[in-house]
Order: sequence, then structure tokens, then C-alpha cells
Amino acid sequence: QGLKPLVPTESPGPDAIFGTSKPGLPATDTFLGTNKVPDLQKVFQRSDGLPVHLKRGYPDRMLYRTTMALTIGGTFYCLVALYIASQPKTK
Amino acid sequence: MAHQAHSYHMVDPSPWPILGASAALLTTSGLTMWFHFHSPYLLIMGLTSTALVMLQWWRDVVRESTFQGHHTPTVQKGLRYGMVLFITSEAFFFLGFFWAFFHSSLAPTPELGGQWPPVGIKPLNPMEVPLLNTAILLASGVTVTWAHHSITEARRKQAIFALTLTVLLGFYFTALQAMEYYEAPFSIADGVYGSTFFVATGFHGLHVIIGSTFLSVCLLRLIKYHFTSNHHFGFEAAAWYWHFVDVVWLFLYIAIYWWGS
Repeated sequence: QGLKPLVPTESPGPDAIFGTSKPGLPATDTFLGTNKVPDLQKVFQRSDGLPVHLKRGYPDRMLYRTTMALTIGGTFYCLVALYIASQPKTK
Repeated sequence: MAHQAHSYHMVDPSPWPILGASAALLTTSGLTMWFHFHSPYLLIMGLTSTALVMLQWWRDVVRESTFQGHHTPTVQKGLRYGMVLFITSEAFFFLGFFWAFFHSSLAPTPELGGQWPPVGIKPLNPMEVPLLNTAILLASGVTVTWAHHSITEARRKQAIFALTLTVLLGFYFTALQAMEYYEAPFSIADGVYGSTFFVATGFHGLHVIIGSTFLSVCLLRLIKYHFTSNHHFGFEAAAWYWHFVDVVWLFLYIAIYWWGS
């Protein structure tokens, strides 16, 4: 394809999957919920400087901190356990 | 806001790679602690953190693509290469276990009674549940292709129906295989027959579960309008993986269940 200057990123757009019988109708399909992708696109494209893994704010931070705590804590536990396991058995 | 002069995706700094590596450390050392010292805590921490990292990393990929638009055709091409290479590596993984099976079964040793199946082993009848499982996976290959066509034709209800059927068929296979495992007259400890049978079919079953999970996530995303009729690579990747799982089963069925009985 070659590099083009200022290539626009492909916008997912409102071209979502429409109803079964008449493709081409506007996105007013309500089968199993309405299309909330445009709203989410606005949320995730806000210029707030947040990285994508924290973009939603509080719930992202909590999940990240839980994962971090479990992983870092676990790594320390692992090093301790391996140290203990490496001690010769003194009977 | 500055714009990039290229069509590649420069990702935001992310903690998931290093935390994923740590989770792998916890899982492997946890296995050691469980095997040798009967302590499951480290393993539980490892599996939990692995699941959390996978959840958040893939969640972020969905955010970057569907919500932020970073998956240009160039990026998608790279993802396609990546998935193809990954599936190829999995094919080599299974090749090893098929090698082990043929090594032992083509020239059965005197310890096995010089025959295959070995003396004392009553193999499963390939014309019973295993044949049904073959039909289930073949049918699921049809339904996933039907789902793909429905997506490209922008037929929402049909796509959801076909993909739901695919997922259900996958669960049906897993349930039947679990029952077969429970009812089998031989175990993994029954010599090289048991080892080759359960390790090969066991890893296959794990891949069925992984593939079913991948397809379930795609079903959820399909319902939530994430896919468009000409951009749905996540679904295509899941479908490729599912076809691969199906092909591995066909080889397993013919070699281990049928020829090996």
C-alpha cells in the first residue's frame, strides 16, 4: 500500500450490523439492545491524557490495583517460597 | 493534537505485558509448590492473576480498535499474520503429541504384548460418542461459516443465531468428552496408551474450551454492535482458531480413536 501522509485512522463508524430483512435501514435496531458504540467512542477518545487501560476512571483503577497487588504480592510470596524450598531438609 | 504520519498503531504504555510475565511465574512456581509441598495458594494466585491480565489486556485491544479506531488496514494485516503464526505454532505443538503416539503404536514393545492397543486395554468404540463428537465439530464449522456470511451481509439476527449455535455445539462437545473421560475403562496411568490418549485428547479439549471462550466473547461483541460488515477481524480470528480445533480433532479421531483401536 505504501505510507501516505496523515493517513486517517479507519473509523469504525455507524455502519453496524442492521436488522435481518432490510440491510440499509438506519441503526434503530433494538434486538438485544441498542447500539452504544458511538457513545463509547466518545468516551474513549476524550483528550484527558489517560492511557487506554485507565480510560474509564474508577473501575479501571480498581481492577488495575487489584491485579497489581495480587501479582506483586504473589511475586514476593513466590521468592520466599522458593527460598524456603531451596533449603536442605535438616532432619 | 498531533497526527501520526503513518498507519501503524503506537500503543499507550501498558502494565499488562510485565504483569502477565509475573503471572506466568506465579503459575509455574505455584505448580511446583502444589506438586511437591501440597500447597495450592501460589497456584491459585497465579491462575487468578493470569485471568485478570488476559481480561484487561484483551479488553484494552477492544477499546483501542472499536472505540479508538487504531486498527487501520495495515494494523489488521499485522494481526492476521500474528494469528496465522500463532495457529501454526499450535499445529507444531500437536504434531509432537501425534509423533509420540505413532512412535509407541507403530512398533508396540513386548511390554505392551507386542500389539496395539496394548494387552489389557479396552479402547473406546470409535463409532459411538467419538463419532457423534466428530459430527458436532463438523456441524459447528458449518455454523461458524454461516455466522461469518451473516456478518458480511449485515444480517444481525441471523449472525447472532448462527454464532450462538456454534458456541452451544462447542459446549456440547466438551460435555460429551467430559462424560467419556469419566466413563472410560482406562486412565492416564495405564501405560503409554493412557498417556498418549489423555495427553493428546486432553490438550485438544483444552483448545476446544479456549476456542469456545473466544467465540463466546465474539458473540457478546456481536450483540453489542462492535463488528461491522467489513471489519470484524476478532471474529475471523476466532473462526480460524475454531476450524483449527476441528481439524486437530479429525486427525485425533482417525489416528487415535479409529486406527488405534
